[in-house]
Amino acid sequence: MKEVENILGILRETEKLINQGNFHEITILSDKTIHSATISQDPDNIIVAVLVYSIGKILERRNYKNMDGWDKFSSSASKNLNLTIKSLEKNDIENARTYLGRIRNSINTIDGALNIYIQDIFRKASINKAFKLYEHGLSSEQTANLLGISLWDLASYIGQSNIGDSNSTISMPVKKRIKIAEEIFE
Amino acid sequence: MKYLIFDSGPIISLTMSGLLPVLEKLKENFKGEFIMTPQVKQEVVDKPLKIKKYELEAIQVNTLLEKGIFKSSSNFFSNQKLELETNKILKMANGALRGVKDKAKINLLQGGEASCIAFARLCKCNNVIVIDERTTRLLSESPRSLHKLMERKLHTHLMLEESLIREFKDLKFIRSPELLFIAYKKNLIPMKKDKQLLDALLYGVKFKGAAISSGEIEEMKSLI
Repeated sequence: MKEVENILGILRETEKLINQGNFHEITILSDKTIHSATISQDPDNIIVAVLVYSIGKILERRNYKNMDGWDKFSSSASKNLNLTIKSLEKNDIENARTYLGRIRNSINTIDGALNIYIQDIFRKASINKAFKLYEHGLSSEQTANLLGISLWDLASYIGQSNIGDSNSTISMPVKKRIKIAEEIFE
Repeated sequence: MKYLIFDSGPIISLTMSGLLPVLEKLKENFKGEFIMTPQVKQEVVDKPLKIKKYELEAIQVNTLLEKGIFKSSSNFFSNQKLELETNKILKMANGALRGVKDKAKINLLQGGEASCIAFARLCKCNNVIVIDERTTRLLSESPRSLHKLMERKLHTHLMLEESLIREFKDLKFIRSPELLFIAYKKNLIPMKKDKQLLDALLYGVKFKGAAISSGEIEEMKSLI
């Protein structure tokens, strides 16, 4: 695990924001791991980014709290979040990884619609973070690989964004590239 | 012999836009081969075949391989030879940008994109790589722009080792929008030919992941 202090700070802040009920801020907070994740490509950094973003999104959907299994999921996730923080404070990386895994696995303790909804949030969170890495300059395949998602999912996400309209993506005049295409098809 | 070497992105954007038949028409009008490397096949056929959401798309792409529209790169070089060259490319590309403080290398590319460059270098022939995503193109055509972009996004200083990617400078790239532009000009699209059709084709692949700006699309339309 690289940048333990950074990860610890983000998880502490997440816990604080959960207690304050400031769920939208949690999703924004998750981006703080992206800069370092782009350079280090450290899986722990990436896992934390996806988890924190997912937690924020799940908590934003207030109707989930009335669904079967919510209490079980919620208490398991918050208990393991706290245990992750305590492990990192002791620099016990192995245990921290175990508890991080248990936050994600908390959804396995519930059945039915809530399980499906939360699974979907985790999947979309992975695509969102992959897009963020792509936005930061990594290739689409590299980001898809790091997040364990399909390039097919990422392609649509990139397409819906305005990233293609950025001037920084233009590396050759249109006419010149068309000429290359016309020449090879002559 | 001419070669168009396909990365996964253009195949994905054309498939998702329902335009694979246009690719068949383009192949009929091309005096050469459309190449697919095993690494790209992994992304556009093997992996999606196991995902229900994309299974149908994977079958459609695989059908083009079976029909010979795409030729496997193994018809020209052994997979082992291509993999060796791919690893060389990855070493060069993924060493080009480093953090100033810790000298940490940034892994920019993966096997699929690198395998296309590897084939282009091995074949020493008239070839163009078809790639929709921007990073590989920027690394070859404008590495300083990629350097600047990443520094701006990461709020940190990076070193660009241009000597490592000097050999990428001669590579030629087009995207799925240029393929569709050619298909449109050659009347290969079985629909009423007017500017709205071209607009629809170009925006269609843009919204499926091709890195092209609205300004570039407008400029392409003005060239007709």
